[in-house]
Amino acid sequence: MGLISGVFMGMIFGIALMAGWRHMMRYRSTKRIAKAADIKILGSLNRDDLKKICGDNFPVWISFPVYEQVKWLNKELSKLWPFVADAAELVIKESVEPLLEEYRPPGITSLKFSKLSLGNVAPKIEGIRVQSLKQGQITMDIDFRWGGDPSIILGVEAAMVASIPIQLKDLQVFTVIRVIFQLAEEIPCISAVVVALLSEPKPRIDYTLKAVGGSLTAIPGIADMIDDTVDSIITDMLQWPHRIVVPIGGIPVDTSELELKPQGKVAVTIVKANNLKNMEMIGKSDPYAVVHIKPLFKVKTNVVDNNLNPVWNQTFELIAEDKETQSLIFEVFDKDIGQDKRLGIVKLPLIDLEADTPKEAELRLLPSLDMLKIKDKKDRGSITVKVLYHEFNKEEQLSALEEEKRFLEERKKLKEAGVIGSTMDAIDGAASLVGSGVGMVGTGIGAGAGLVTAGVGTGVGLVGSGFGAVGSGLSKAGKFMGRTITGHSSKRSGTTTPVNSVQENGGAKPVQ
Amino acid sequence: MGVISTIFGFCGFGVGISSGLVIGYFLFIYFQPTDVKNPEIRPLVERDSETLQQMLPEIPLWVKCPDYDRVDWLNKFLELMWPYLDKAICKTAKNIAKPIIAEQIPKYKIESVEFETLTLGTLPPTFQGMKVYVTDEKELIMEPCLKWAANPNVTIGVKAFGLKATVQVVDLQVFAQPRITLKPLVPAFPCFANIYVSLMEKPHVDFGLKLVGADLMSIPGLYRFVQVANMYLWPKTLEVPILDPSKAYRRPVGILHVKVVKAMNLKKKDLLGASDPYVKLKITEDKLPSKKTTVKHKNLNPEWNEEYNFTVRDPESQAVELAVYDWEQVGKHDKMGMNVVPLKELTPEEPSVKTLDLLKNMDLNDGQNEKSRGQLVVEFIYKPFKEEDLPKSFEESQTVQKAPENTPAGGGLLVVIVHEAQDVEGKHHTNPYARILFRGEERKTKHVKKNRDPRWEEEFQFMLEEPPTNDRLHVEVCSVSSRIGLLHPKETLGYIDINLSDVVSNKRINEKYHLIDSKNGRIQIELQWRTA
Repeated sequence: MGLISGVFMGMIFGIALMAGWRHMMRYRSTKRIAKAADIKILGSLNRDDLKKICGDNFPVWISFPVYEQVKWLNKELSKLWPFVADAAELVIKESVEPLLEEYRPPGITSLKFSKLSLGNVAPKIEGIRVQSLKQGQITMDIDFRWGGDPSIILGVEAAMVASIPIQLKDLQVFTVIRVIFQLAEEIPCISAVVVALLSEPKPRIDYTLKAVGGSLTAIPGIADMIDDTVDSIITDMLQWPHRIVVPIGGIPVDTSELELKPQGKVAVTIVKANNLKNMEMIGKSDPYAVVHIKPLFKVKTNVVDNNLNPVWNQTFELIAEDKETQSLIFEVFDKDIGQDKRLGIVKLPLIDLEADTPKEAELRLLPSLDMLKIKDKKDRGSITVKVLYHEFNKEEQLSALEEEKRFLEERKKLKEAGVIGSTMDAIDGAASLVGSGVGMVGTGIGAGAGLVTAGVGTGVGLVGSGFGAVGSGLSKAGKFMGRTITGHSSKRSGTTTPVNSVQENGGAKPVQ
Repeated sequence: MGVISTIFGFCGFGVGISSGLVIGYFLFIYFQPTDVKNPEIRPLVERDSETLQQMLPEIPLWVKCPDYDRVDWLNKFLELMWPYLDKAICKTAKNIAKPIIAEQIPKYKIESVEFETLTLGTLPPTFQGMKVYVTDEKELIMEPCLKWAANPNVTIGVKAFGLKATVQVVDLQVFAQPRITLKPLVPAFPCFANIYVSLMEKPHVDFGLKLVGADLMSIPGLYRFVQVANMYLWPKTLEVPILDPSKAYRRPVGILHVKVVKAMNLKKKDLLGASDPYVKLKITEDKLPSKKTTVKHKNLNPEWNEEYNFTVRDPESQAVELAVYDWEQVGKHDKMGMNVVPLKELTPEEPSVKTLDLLKNMDLNDGQNEKSRGQLVVEFIYKPFKEEDLPKSFEESQTVQKAPENTPAGGGLLVVIVHEAQDVEGKHHTNPYARILFRGEERKTKHVKKNRDPRWEEEFQFMLEEPPTNDRLHVEVCSVSSRIGLLHPKETLGYIDINLSDVVSNKRINEKYHLIDSKNGRIQIELQWRTA
């Protein structure tokens, strides 16, 4: 009897124990899961949620801007800044100097940092926004502001004038930096980082130039040249859609998806201009037009002498990478001795174009692209263009990419091979001013090709001893940035007769 | 009889309880689902006030305390990255565990141990507030409030003696408030040398540990034993070295004597007469300007026999660059050739004479280097500093160094480090420098031009016979006009007097003082009293 009741009691007790355990398990498990859900929600509260939780006691110090504020990061940054500045100086020097070299304007033979210190004032991060615009990518926009006191001295060597140090003062950078992280399933989970400056709002990078122990006027136009270089570097390298892709951490990854690729080509015919402004004292302007999408790939028309209603009818092809954000920029210049004057500028956003439908437009020329602060409403005439946008298919895209690479490489080689594009310009400038003295024979054979029909070949045979005048053609030698493709100086002759070169599209690059 | 009945009763109870447990196990626990479901997350707006009440203890700190910052952008980032991070972490964990398991298995007669499932779940860790502290020391302190309520599913299957058992970890929850200190800060990326982590409060850790389906953690009392991670409760810290601080500062480790002996068979560069050669020497990765020998006029086989010294910071990567130039009266000096000698090619303490072929550039493929440009004979001796000469490995700013040997007994060394000043402003000009007066002795820092927040980081030392208990230190911030003018040549931007008795008793004081005679100015001064 005792046994049976014992077994019975034991069984009930055992089952009850198990049931209790299960109940406990369930209870704890649901509690944990509920907590997990709570934590998850509390990790991303918005204004309405907070209102519901806090009711009337809504904390006044909380706001929810699009760009989330990061006061703590700024505090850390200002503390860390002296050390970051020290560490970054070397890195910046090494990475920016080759860039400066590449974008160095003609007329300057060397552009290097002779002193670089980032100063005491730390940059501020006004806000950060994180979003996911594409599967497998995180897009982080950083509102970056730096009104620093860096001390940057550029050693500028221009032809004819000895090296002068130029100081960049009061550097200020206000921009939104877009960083895109490409995710991967291996530690450290990020296979590549894409960095760019958002084009809207337009990056503002201000500085004043000052020559150390001298005057900026020692080299005419130097300030503009540097401005232009900086501007080109930024718009051409950094400003969205252009970007810098940095692969990270040993994961072999195909970054080609992230790189900016040619998306289509634009055939632009610059037909004519009307009612241009007269900028010359005697006679009329000698206008020519320049058009580009990227500053590195500028093309230009012939100069039409003494005409305010020039007709060019020239066609160029330009590569577009991002139809959404890029624009065609048309500029009209007056060819002049020394600096060319700009008669007007206008832009045509590519988004206005329909693929494979020709469009003709008459665009009113403006004094500047940024019309926010300019009151000038004077009529500067208009330019008539025909534009045809063609979207690439896969193969065309690849070949265009190859072409572009090849073109850039050739230009680089040309620059490395010495002198061409830099020293030459200087000599040519000097020669045209002085008139004679240097024995120099130019045999530029226009072997233009390349991406755009307007290739210009220039070759300069420098004969050490000798004499003779310089062909006027030479002064027009193609120092046009980015257009100097082939530089075969095929002949070297000691004769005094300059062999006139084919100067289809030569002519000095307008210095603005 | 009653006794036997009771004994039987107990035996029966014993049998009954075990069979009851087995029946109960199969009845209630065995059929429990083992897979982990995603928790259903209802948006907050839909919740009623009762569930809201339950949530209140978990409200993020940034809502409650204004000194915590919201870091939802970081949460969002983590959330987007989490699926990838999860896979990456699990993959790495598996790869690490595999060899360890393979090694351990034979010892315990277990057939196999393997992960049946391994995932950290869909819920990423969240930061519910971030607080940073600003101190006067060279450190960054931050306190993130980390809450990770995860839904991981880690199932380990163990096979032994033909039986298979599973261990499953579910619902891991870790709430912690670590203090992360980055120090010391150094001028080389990533800009700090060590990471110190310690927990400010006892962390909350909770999870379910299922052994063959039954959650051990819900046995009452057991949960309390599992409160781990007390070992890093503040002030105990976990130290993670990131980089060697002494390397970051790149202290000199040796000295290099270079003797430029002569050059031979240089090429003629000038139109009239021979070249006028001189040599430029430079050590790489150094900011100092290059050194130049004298110019030997009209000589293609010049002899210099001139000696130069360079401080070496990293013999592994540094190199000496030698370039021969042709001097010109007018215009640019022509380069006649160059060569580079890496320091690792030199044996320490041993003089070596090298005859270097001059090259056009250091590009190996350049055909122009085939051409002979002459030779340069140079003698090198590299002398690394002896151990005792070396400045002792980086000392942390907290620890006060010992005074040097020759300090008189009872005396010591008073060290004044002028770090920086803020908001100093002159009426006419602000080119501030600090002037220190102590017992009639005057020391000055360098001038900082046009800056309201100058940073000097300069150190001054005073050797004293006895502790300066009754002395005061006068620190004055002055400004001198950058123009040579008669008006307002000098201005005082503010001063302070510091009583030194505190320094003697504290050994080290690092503080920001408000300047007298200044609107808002502050100056940060570190004082150390070093005794033998």
